[in-house]
Amino acid sequence: MATAKGIERSSVIISVFSTTPGIGKTIVAINLAAGLASEGYKVCLADLDLQFGDVLNYLKLTSKTTVAGAQRALLDHPKTFDVRKFLIDYSNNGITFSILPAPLYVFDAYQTDINIVKEIINDLNFCDYIIIDLNSMFSALNLAMLDISTVINYVGVIDFLPALKNYKIGYDTLIRFDYEESKIRLVENRADSQKLINSNDVERLLGEPFYHRLPNDYPSVKKSINTGQPLMFAAPDSKLTKSFGELVGLYSNRPHSQGEAVTDIPTEKNSGGLLSKISNFFGF
Amino acid sequence: MAYRTIVIENDENFLEDILYVLHRSPDFEVSANYKSAQAALGQAVMFKPNFFLISVDNATMLNSVKNFVETFPGAFILGTMSSWNPVIAKQAMDNGITGCVLKPFTAKQLLDYIRLYSARGLHKPAELISFFSPKGRAGRTTLAAVLALLIAEKTGERVALIDADLQFGDLPMFFDVEPERTIVDATQDIRLLTPITLEPYFHKIKDGVFLLASPARPEYAELVTPESLVDVAMMSANIFRYVIMDLPSGFNPLSLNLCRISDLVYVTTMINSGFEVKHTKKTLEMFESQAGENSKIHAVFTRVNPFTEEQREKIAEQLDYPVDVMIPNEYQMISVANSGRLARGLPQDTLLMKTISNLADEIIESGK
Ligand SMILES: Nc1ncnc2c1ncn2[C@@H]1O[C@H](COP(=O)(O)OP(=O)(O)O)[C@@H](O)[C@H]1O
Ligand SMILES: [Mg+2]
Repeated sequence: MATAKGIERSSVIISVFSTTPGIGKTIVAINLAAGLASEGYKVCLADLDLQFGDVLNYLKLTSKTTVAGAQRALLDHPKTFDVRKFLIDYSNNGITFSILPAPLYVFDAYQTDINIVKEIINDLNFCDYIIIDLNSMFSALNLAMLDISTVINYVGVIDFLPALKNYKIGYDTLIRFDYEESKIRLVENRADSQKLINSNDVERLLGEPFYHRLPNDYPSVKKSINTGQPLMFAAPDSKLTKSFGELVGLYSNRPHSQGEAVTDIPTEKNSGGLLSKISNFFGF
Repeated sequence: MAYRTIVIENDENFLEDILYVLHRSPDFEVSANYKSAQAALGQAVMFKPNFFLISVDNATMLNSVKNFVETFPGAFILGTMSSWNPVIAKQAMDNGITGCVLKPFTAKQLLDYIRLYSARGLHKPAELISFFSPKGRAGRTTLAAVLALLIAEKTGERVALIDADLQFGDLPMFFDVEPERTIVDATQDIRLLTPITLEPYFHKIKDGVFLLASPARPEYAELVTPESLVDVAMMSANIFRYVIMDLPSGFNPLSLNLCRISDLVYVTTMINSGFEVKHTKKTLEMFESQAGENSKIHAVFTRVNPFTEEQREKIAEQLDYPVDVMIPNEYQMISVANSGRLARGLPQDTLLMKTISNLADEIIESGK
């Protein structure tokens, strides 16, 4: 992919997207960034949930510089613009990754220009990995980011029928929008949470297996958010941390220690009377 | 019994048209016609009229509607307009008019309008109520749906649900319906519609509750302009006493415009990681900076735990804004919504239902 300056982009862009809000995108984005950084890669996490971004919240950071400031600087002084001035670092135990924070005010978020954001992201080309945290709509900004992404980490939690509907509709829409199937990585979050809908049925419905499944682990996530640290520091021994390690392995082509086996998450066999309802709704 | 009708119209051509139509219909009997409101107010009482057709194209006549409502309580008063004007229709409603009709009309259309406006409920302006949430997954849709069912049940008046969460609207699924016509059709046709012809775009959920569904595919959302949706919402206010709108998450031209025309905006947030209060605070600041004041904006928190007054105060303090509504956690609700059984039976006697029922009472009271 060519950047604005005509240089072939070398960094991998992973966008974290979903069509239902509040299902773990930001948790996934933060832990991908931390995991890839711990493998020695240079990583930047861009918070493009512009109006209500949570990256700084979850890491207990505050920042004076944001993507809104970067936009202003790029407009005012395009020649001297240096994106690095607008990043802040998260460091813990010798592991560091950069963050491009979301604007502090909704009004600034509202004024964001998609083409400028694209340029800013392109300027992050000095990184090995750029992780982009998005919100849950097919907005022009999100689509522009999905376009420039190497892979789309498409997250779903299948605990609620409308959420399943939105996951399926979102996937079908991505395909209709001509994103290659190989680029879309279906990631199920909270995969073993008490639920009425069976993962196998979901895979049948999507016509595509999950690329990875992250277990439900509310205590660890809570600890992570409360201490403002990625899971590898807040809950190093948890199942969820291990599962993130595997996902990072998949994205860095270095399968994490135990080989490539995906965490074994038992699927419930009995999906109750709901399956027939889903079948009716989706007509399969 | 034919309607004893008074026609007030200062345009010769329209007057001729209207009289021609009424004279040929067995359902209407023209008692008198006037060219000014003043004359009608002075003389019409002699005919014990129960039906008025007043041209609201004329500002003086529009303003006089109040006097007719006062002098002829119980009469059906329809404003006639030569082209549909949502602002005038709203002013006429504020003045207590039964409803507006588009000129020219047939006798059958007049009867349709009478049926429509009788079913609507009190001859009062509609309450436009928006459910906004900063990020979504807030319990917004559940709250809007249950509220619509309860208000209809309590008042016997008509309630509209507009699923303006265009890309990922869940209301059709909550009610287990797949309406043929959606918001896309309504907004594309709105220029040609009248209240009577807009009504069939709504899908009847049950007595008194009607849904204007979101489109089947996310990309169809692009076909809906904020202006046309504002027009649809404003025309719906003529058909329904309550218009409840489920908005897309966050600030966008659509949510901002619908909030602008709403009488009540509920900013709904689900307590989860704790940062939601911060998001709500940012939301309130944005509304304030847009409108200069926040009097119609109410903060709602769902899944509040512990469900106590202390907790309410704690959140309000963090927010620096009153917390008008707190909704408790209720797992049962999820399974009800999950099954599409929402219209068939709400969970009874739960704390959740009691809280939403109280909110319905408050809204009904404020609309009287
Ligand atoms: N694997 C998980 N196990 C348990 N809870 C989770 C998990 N992933 C996310 N959560 C919970 O979901 C909430 C929303 O996550 P978040 O990443 O903010 O979602 P999004 O970015 O998609 O809006 C978090 O506050 C957290 O409590
Ligand atoms: Mg997020």
